[in-house]
Amino acid sequence: MRLTMHRSLLTTLLLTLALPLAAAEVRELTWSEMVPADAPPQVTEPTPMHDLSQLADALAESAPAATQQSPAAPVVPALDGQPVKLPGYIVPLDVSEEGRVTEFLLVPYFGACIHVPPPPSNQIVHVTTELGVLMDALYQPFWIEGPLKVEQSSSELAEAGYQMAAEKIYAYELPDS
Amino acid sequence: MYLLRLALASLGNRRFTAWLTVFAIALSVCLLLAVERVRTEARASFANTISGTDLIVGARSGSVNLLLYSVFRIGNATNNIRWDSFEHFAEHRQIKWAIPISLGDSHRGYRVMGTSPAYFEHYRYARTQALQLSSGRAFADDPFEVVLGAEVAQALNYRLDQELVLAHGVATISLVKHDDKPFKVVGILARTGTPVDRTLHISLAGMEALHVDWQNGMPARGAAKVSVEQARAMDLQPKQITAVMLGLNSKIATFSLQREINEFRGEPLLAILPGVALQELWSLMGTAEKALFVVSLFVVLTGLIGMLTAILTSLNERRREMAILRSVGARPWHIASLLIVEAFALALAGVLLGVLLLYLGIAGAQAYVQANYGLYLPLSLPTRYEWTLLGAILSAALLMGCVPAWRAYRQSLADGLSIRL
Repeated sequence: MRLTMHRSLLTTLLLTLALPLAAAEVRELTWSEMVPADAPPQVTEPTPMHDLSQLADALAESAPAATQQSPAAPVVPALDGQPVKLPGYIVPLDVSEEGRVTEFLLVPYFGACIHVPPPPSNQIVHVTTELGVLMDALYQPFWIEGPLKVEQSSSELAEAGYQMAAEKIYAYELPDS
Repeated sequence: MYLLRLALASLGNRRFTAWLTVFAIALSVCLLLAVERVRTEARASFANTISGTDLIVGARSGSVNLLLYSVFRIGNATNNIRWDSFEHFAEHRQIKWAIPISLGDSHRGYRVMGTSPAYFEHYRYARTQALQLSSGRAFADDPFEVVLGAEVAQALNYRLDQELVLAHGVATISLVKHDDKPFKVVGILARTGTPVDRTLHISLAGMEALHVDWQNGMPARGAAKVSVEQARAMDLQPKQITAVMLGLNSKIATFSLQREINEFRGEPLLAILPGVALQELWSLMGTAEKALFVVSLFVVLTGLIGMLTAILTSLNERRREMAILRSVGARPWHIASLLIVEAFALALAGVLLGVLLLYLGIAGAQAYVQANYGLYLPLSLPTRYEWTLLGAILSAALLMGCVPAWRAYRQSLADGLSIRL
């Protein structure tokens, strides 16, 4: 009896201690949360792939260049400054002398799938990190943790998008197994 | 302490075998460290060569291929791209800067690269370091000006204002030279430790001027020749270039721009992210590196087993020595530790000699390797990883020393004394 009381006391104590910690804990973000809820669903007109009447046009070098799919996808400004953790794959941009990736793009899927257009700008996070990630380990997904910075597209030149100075980077493991 | 002295004295008595054993270990250690060092330095120099460039654009081939010829001057381009494609993307609103590159000629084995002044302004290496001129200036309006990489100037002993002749093609010894149009050295770049050091930089107009009177793939003859003065007066706007380096306003746009370039209708183009291509290159090299590493590990193992054999065979000859030690009061564990100390001393001497050999080798081969392979091997202290390797070799030797130690430990006191010779 005494023991159980002790235990429940301990639990309460732990809970009260843990609660403020939990509030300050980093938020686990999913990629779909990075698209604003009120963003119009991207309805792209299905391009006729095998329309022979446009074949000549497609082959002609004077035809217009393929249009960019999503020049500036909308971002969620509320995420600005929030400490988050996000799983994704690393596309290296800059590599240090020791073979560590110090600047990279985090994307939700691996490899350049050329069947569909690349991910829109709100599905890419531009990450910088002091420590870097070993380049040999890039085939696997990683958790990236740090404060998210949301860049609004204020000018013609700056692309809207997410940036982060990563504080922690660690391998993503499947929840069970 | 007396154990150590005894072990060393005993080794001194058999110094010829001991030296051979030490030398075998030293060679294997030297090989292991050399493989490790070349591997890390090759990676570092690859990683250091390009920085801050977001996309490289060239004719459609493979991403590793494009990276190798455009940045590392290894291999050749499959095709050129048109100047108007370059102009199209240089004026793209996402693009901050664009560096055109034109390759194909050489000077005594060093590649010649035609480019624009943007190269000196925007090209970055080794994590955002810009190119510096150690003397002179970048090329200006005159097409017949050349800026040398540090190593070209040093190896061929060129100075400012000297004139040199470029050769057609990229062979070390060229038979077809552009000797009617000499170039003047106007600048020498500071050393970077990258392929830039082994490159001669000329303007795109210079590249065009070299070939302005070429017809049907051979230099003009007789009256068709264009002199330097005539060439200067001509319109030297290039019609094609080999590759383009691009810097973007926003890195987030990298993928969409890459897609746009790859789907460009004007001509087939390929855009690559240097980091991704580098990663592909490394995963290719990784297999060869691992194989080399495993081979050198086995060589070290062979060296250590050679040591073990030497000690084990000596045990038989030394039964009398052991017996005398035992008879004057040495305990079995004294004998055992004597043998372990002996093994450790051999391995330690081997490792030290191996490291010494490595440094002598690096000091001797440094200039040659740099000139021929573009690989700079620094005479730096062993890295933490190398210390770990050395430590592992020593502990392996200690472990191996336990085998003869155990055998000697088991031999009885009377064993060596009752020996019949």
